[in-house]
Amino acid sequence: MSTTIDVPESSSHNVSKGKAATIVAPKRPGGWKKGVAIMDLIVRLGTLGSTIGAISIMATADQTLPFFNQFVQFEASYDSFSALQFFVVTLALVCGYLVLSLPISIVAIVRPHAPGPRIFLIILDTIFLTLASSAAAAAAAIVYLAHNGEQDPNWIAICNQYGTFCMETSEGVVIAFLAVVSFIIMIITNTLALGKH
Amino acid sequence: MSTTIEVGESSSRKVSKEKTPLIGAPKRAGGWKKGVAIIDFILRLGAIASAFGAAATMAMADEVLPFFTQFLKFEASYDNFTAFQFFVISMAFVGGYLVLSLPFSIVTIIRPHAVGPRLFLIILDMVFLTVATASAAAGAAVVYLAHNGNQDSNWLAICNQFTDFCQQTSGAVISAFVSVVLLLFLVIMTAVALRSH
Repeated sequence: MSTTIDVPESSSHNVSKGKAATIVAPKRPGGWKKGVAIMDLIVRLGTLGSTIGAISIMATADQTLPFFNQFVQFEASYDSFSALQFFVVTLALVCGYLVLSLPISIVAIVRPHAPGPRIFLIILDTIFLTLASSAAAAAAAIVYLAHNGEQDPNWIAICNQYGTFCMETSEGVVIAFLAVVSFIIMIITNTLALGKH
Repeated sequence: MSTTIEVGESSSRKVSKEKTPLIGAPKRAGGWKKGVAIIDFILRLGAIASAFGAAATMAMADEVLPFFTQFLKFEASYDNFTAFQFFVISMAFVGGYLVLSLPFSIVTIIRPHAVGPRLFLIILDMVFLTVATASAAAGAAVVYLAHNGNQDSNWLAICNQFTDFCQQTSGAVISAFVSVVLLLFLVIMTAVALRSH
C-alpha cells in the first residue's frame, strides 16, 4: 500500500509577517545539563570561599620569637618569602576571577544548551587553574623546606623555632590545593556537559 | 494548492536484511576540526620534547666544586633537593602520558567529529597540566631560593658558588614552563573543538 501525505495549503491571508522575536527561542527542558550548571555554581562558590580562606590565613601568618639572638632574625611573616608573596597575590587574582565568573555560571544555568558560556568558563577556568596550582605548589615547596630544611645547601628547617608560622602557612597551602581540586571538578563537569548531548 | 507526497511501497521481496557495517559510517568533511586535531598532534609532540627535556636536564644537573670547605658541601646535584626530585619524576610522568596520548590524538585527526577521544584527551590533558604546573612551580621556587637566598630564614644563595648547577636547573624549569604553556593550548583547542553545532 502506498502512503499519501497531504500538506494542506496555507491561506495567503493567514500568512502574516510576524516579527519573530529572536530572543524567545522555544525552551528545551534543561535536563542534566542544568543540574551540572547548578553544581558548577555551587562548586564555584566553594572555590571562592577556599581561596579567600587561603589568602587570609597566609597573609596573617606571622610569628615573632620572644628572645633575642645576634645572628638569626626573630620574626617570620609571609612577606619574608617571595614564594608566599606570589601565593597571596596570585590567589587574589584567582579569587577576583571567580567573583567575575559567577554571572557567567548563572547564564549557563539559565541557558543550559548554549555552548558559549560553557566554553568561556572552561577556557578561563583552565588558565586560572594553572595560576592557582602554580601558586599552591610554589608555596608548598617553601613550606616543605621550612619543615624539613635541606642538608646540602645548609638551609635550616625554621619550623623548629617558628611553630605557629609554619602551621598557618601549611594550612594556607592545604586550602589552596582544595581550591585546585575543585577547579578540576568544575572543568571536568563543564567539559562533559559541553561534549555530550 | 495542496501538496501530495507519495511514499511508494517497498516490495517485501526486495527488502533483505542487510548487515550494515558499523565502521563504514558516511564520512563528513573534516573541516576546521581536522585542522585543530592536526595542530593538537604537533603541539603534543612539542610538549613531549619539552617535558622530557626538562626531566633530563634536571636529572643531569650536577656540579662538583674543585675546592674544599669545612662547612659547605662541595657537590650539588638534583637529588640534594626534594623539590627537584619531585620535578624529575613528575615531568617524566607528564612526558610518558603525552606519548601514550599520541594514538588518541591520531584518532581525533581521523575522526574529527567523534566526541569520545576529544573528551578523554581534554580531561587527562587538564589533569597532567596541573601536575606539570605544580612541578614547574615547585622547581621555580627552589631555583629562586638558590639564586637569591632568603635573609629571614638564613638560607644562603648557593648559586654564587654553583653557577653551572644553577644554570642547568633554571633551564630545566623554563623547559617545564614551556610544556605547561603547550598543554594549556592543547586543552583550550580541544575545548573549542568539542563545541557541538
